[in-house]
Amino acid sequence: MKRARILMLIAPVAALIFLFIVLPYVTVLMMSFRAPAEGQPYGAGFSVEGYRQFFSQSYYALSLPQTMGLGIVTSLVCLLLGYPVALHIATAPKRWRGLLYGIVLSPLLVGIVVRSYGWTILLGNAGVINTTLRNLGLIERPLPLMYNEFGVVLALAHVFLPFMVLPLLASLQTADPAVRQAARSLGAGRFTVFRRVTLPMSMPGIQSGCILVFVLAISSYVTPALVGGMRVKTTTLLVVDALIDQFQWPFGSAMALTLAVSAGIVVLIFARLTRIRWS
Amino acid sequence: MTEVSLLSLVKSYGKSTALKGISLDVGHGEFVSLLGPSGCGKSTTLKCIAGFEDVTDGKILFDSKDISRKLPEDRDIGMVFQSYALFPHMTVARNLAFGLEMRRMARSEIADRVARAMDMVQLTPYADRYPKALSGGQQQRVALARALVIEPAILLLDEPLANLDAKLRDEMRGFIRDLQKRVGITTIYVTHDQNEAMTMSDRVVVMFDGEIAQAAPPEDVYDRPASERVARFVGNANILDLAVADQADAETSLSLPGGGRLAVTGGADAPVSRLRVMARPEQIALTGPGEGHIDGRIAKRYFSGGHVEYHVDTDCGTLNVLCPTTQNVAEGANVGLSFDTRRLWPLPGAAHVTAEPAA
Ligand SMILES: Nc1ncnc2c1ncn2[C@@H]1O[C@H](COP(=O)(O)OP(=O)(O)O)[C@@H](O)[C@H]1O
Ligand SMILES: [Mg+2]
Repeated sequence: MKRARILMLIAPVAALIFLFIVLPYVTVLMMSFRAPAEGQPYGAGFSVEGYRQFFSQSYYALSLPQTMGLGIVTSLVCLLLGYPVALHIATAPKRWRGLLYGIVLSPLLVGIVVRSYGWTILLGNAGVINTTLRNLGLIERPLPLMYNEFGVVLALAHVFLPFMVLPLLASLQTADPAVRQAARSLGAGRFTVFRRVTLPMSMPGIQSGCILVFVLAISSYVTPALVGGMRVKTTTLLVVDALIDQFQWPFGSAMALTLAVSAGIVVLIFARLTRIRWS
Repeated sequence: MTEVSLLSLVKSYGKSTALKGISLDVGHGEFVSLLGPSGCGKSTTLKCIAGFEDVTDGKILFDSKDISRKLPEDRDIGMVFQSYALFPHMTVARNLAFGLEMRRMARSEIADRVARAMDMVQLTPYADRYPKALSGGQQQRVALARALVIEPAILLLDEPLANLDAKLRDEMRGFIRDLQKRVGITTIYVTHDQNEAMTMSDRVVVMFDGEIAQAAPPEDVYDRPASERVARFVGNANILDLAVADQADAETSLSLPGGGRLAVTGGADAPVSRLRVMARPEQIALTGPGEGHIDGRIAKRYFSGGHVEYHVDTDCGTLNVLCPTTQNVAEGANVGLSFDTRRLWPLPGAAHVTAEPAA
């Protein structure tokens, strides 16, 4: 009787989770093992051709470490840029905090396409930066700011910065200011307090911020496509290419799954390395 | 041991002034409590001494040396916070070691001192636990040990017991007091609990609105409050507003509503027509009707285990009377009230206070 009631209560959630999380994964998993075919998305029967195709061609296989690297560097850049911002907001007077919070979030109000396009205007060969530098006579030929990893990381870091700042801010703000005062009274100078108290205490925020940005960065499509101009091959770009342009569903699914599993492994290793035992 | 002097300390936050000239001397090894209602500036005083807040005006001296401009880390202070403020990412032992590491002490020396400090607060079995895995009382003891292990010049405590339950609070009171006496460290203790302040301190400093209202030993603050406000804040106070019948040098005779006389020692310096005197509830005894100084009727009776508290309606207003449980009178009964005249306290400056009905 009681069990039946509980089952009834969790049934809708269970159905939603199954429908929108489990089922798509199962579908992709199944599709990745279907046989390829000419002229149609997939053929009859099952095979590992999709995976073989991915791992045997360096053009595809090398996109995986490249993507992971891009994600890791983007996370690091966001962390380095975001930490001072979060620290500043967390220690700002209360009346300023709302405004600063809004400024950090404001990029999210502008669509990702617009923001990425904005970067192409800035970074392009005939873009604002290169034109200005050339007019000032500082350079002869345009600097390669776009269509390379540099441009993609820069744009990705900008796009996903709020996702780093928010968790950092959350963990910095939950820290009792008295803890820092206690450290001061025990003889620690400002910098020592930061290194030995503030920074380690914000570890949970660093962890979730890095994971969030990493996952978002490696799976993003618009920014690498626009700013990288298809010259920076990320696995996500190749997946979309295989699924939509080449119409090879098993191959695309195999790549998508390999990407997801690899990302999972990287996240697990990272979580393990930064394990927090105290909370 | 260090002597602390506050010289007309002023602290302003923008337009509002949290401290309006605090002057106080705390002697070697003395235990002084800052007592007052929330918002009266107790924590601000402590933060100024610790260096977390710059003083707007005035000076802070440690052993006659002005330290008001020193950074907190250079003041050699042990501080215990209401929230304990332990380092959550460090074990108990690491928490205690922190201050010693900052002093660049040798490893073996640190281990030694930490072990002794943990023993002192009976936490040795918990050395490798993180603060999250400790009870409130244990965290409190870690905070205390962490502040003391560095052997600071002075110890500051900001409502350290406020987050503990009543029984533990009583226990910790004795514990902190004993420890302080044993170590002999000059201590300033902030609390809004008058009981805590009185039981623990050598001297109680009562503060209102950023000013010191009275600084005196607990007995003086209780029996001889400097003002009506202090009288009411420190314990229960019956205040009688009486006409002066006769005023001699050392004694003032007051006329009671029933026609009787009440003699109190001391009183106003100048001749006055009325005087307000304070009687604590336990300084009034119940007698038969007509046998005491004034008559009244029991309005309320509260039994609290050790005592019975009566609210007695009289012509001087409703008075609180605290009696031993052996003396039992029903609500509605007519009684007499007899004052312990030697302990009646004429409130200073009371002649200028206009009469108001007693609470
Ligand atoms: N950082 C601050 N900014 C502005 N006002 C403050 C600040 N800190 C304390 N105050 C004010 O100073 C007064 C005294 O505060 P505090 O010392 O914390 O009181 P207590 O510890 O006695 O409860 C209060 O009125 C409080 O509002
Ligand atoms: Mg306070």
